[in-house]
Amino acid sequence: MLEHLWNLFVGFFRASNFGFGGGPATVPLMQVEVVNKFHWLTNAQFADAVAAANALPGPVGTKIPGFVGYQIAGWPGAIVGILASIGPTVLAVVILGSVLMRFANSPGLKAALKGVRPVIVVLIAQTSLQMGMTSFPNLMTWGIALATIALLYYSKVHPALMIVTSMMFGLVVFR
Amino acid sequence: MLRRLWDVFIAFTRSANLGFGGGPAMIPLMQNEVVKRYHWMNDEEFTDALAVGNSLPGPIATKMAGYIGYKVGGGLGALLALLGTVVPSLLAVMFLSHLITVYAHSPELKAMLQAVRPVVVILIAQTALGMGKKAFSNSVTWGIAAVAAVLLYFNVHPAIIIVASMLFGYVVFKNESQQR
Repeated sequence: MLEHLWNLFVGFFRASNFGFGGGPATVPLMQVEVVNKFHWLTNAQFADAVAAANALPGPVGTKIPGFVGYQIAGWPGAIVGILASIGPTVLAVVILGSVLMRFANSPGLKAALKGVRPVIVVLIAQTSLQMGMTSFPNLMTWGIALATIALLYYSKVHPALMIVTSMMFGLVVFR
Repeated sequence: MLRRLWDVFIAFTRSANLGFGGGPAMIPLMQNEVVKRYHWMNDEEFTDALAVGNSLPGPIATKMAGYIGYKVGGGLGALLALLGTVVPSLLAVMFLSHLITVYAHSPELKAMLQAVRPVVVILIAQTALGMGKKAFSNSVTWGIAAVAAVLLYFNVHPAIIIVASMLFGYVVFKNESQQR
């Protein structure tokens, strides 16, 4: 149990504190820890966790550690996962807030962030690819993906609504 | 003081739990509460806080809540802002997690999950595309992306790639951004 908690701490500490661009940018890093490194979930299960998290409002960077932590080690797991994810950066902004303010517009920091952004894009694209490999077992799932793209670009339907609708659709079609 | 703490809690509960799409999607809602409704900061101060938040790793929603909560109500303010941001959606996800575990083998749940997975794949791909628009400003940034893709293929840990790209960016882009 203690080992589980320690691993949860280490996994989510690493995932959250190397991801730039808010919670969604840390999803690929969480996938590396949760699926590849500690084998807590399979790729498909991780996709389900992301779906559950995206279907609800609120920050995704705390919902996924909560969800995974709870599955691995109950409430203590959830709390450890979340503290590891948000603790270090929250302390940094609270304690160093005024110091950081002076560096926020420094050319050096801007240059470093410019260098890291393409890497984050590639990481997120890779997550999408890996999840894609287990998400398209038949023609109908491709149809759902195409419909999602069409709705995203030609309507203002909210993504949360798409998630709920697709689940209803699946209940009727795939059962 | 109690009144202020309560306001902080409510402001962040509202902005975090009405926004879909993770932390970045709730920034405008936070701005609405912090600047327009409660006047804790003006627009410029909020933008500066956002710049600081974005220069650090990790979820943005909790960094903003911690920073603004601390400015308004000290340590207790930071704590309440964080609780307001995290707890409601956390309880909901636990409940869902519980349902998914209990009904893991039901054909209904499997059918629903099979249909939702393609949607999640597209939504994540769209996040990559949206970030890509800002991330690729010149050919060097494309080069960084290509190198990152190759390193990932050979199982180099993403954290190493991230740190290396920041150092590279610091060296290569520093003069460029000073000129502007």
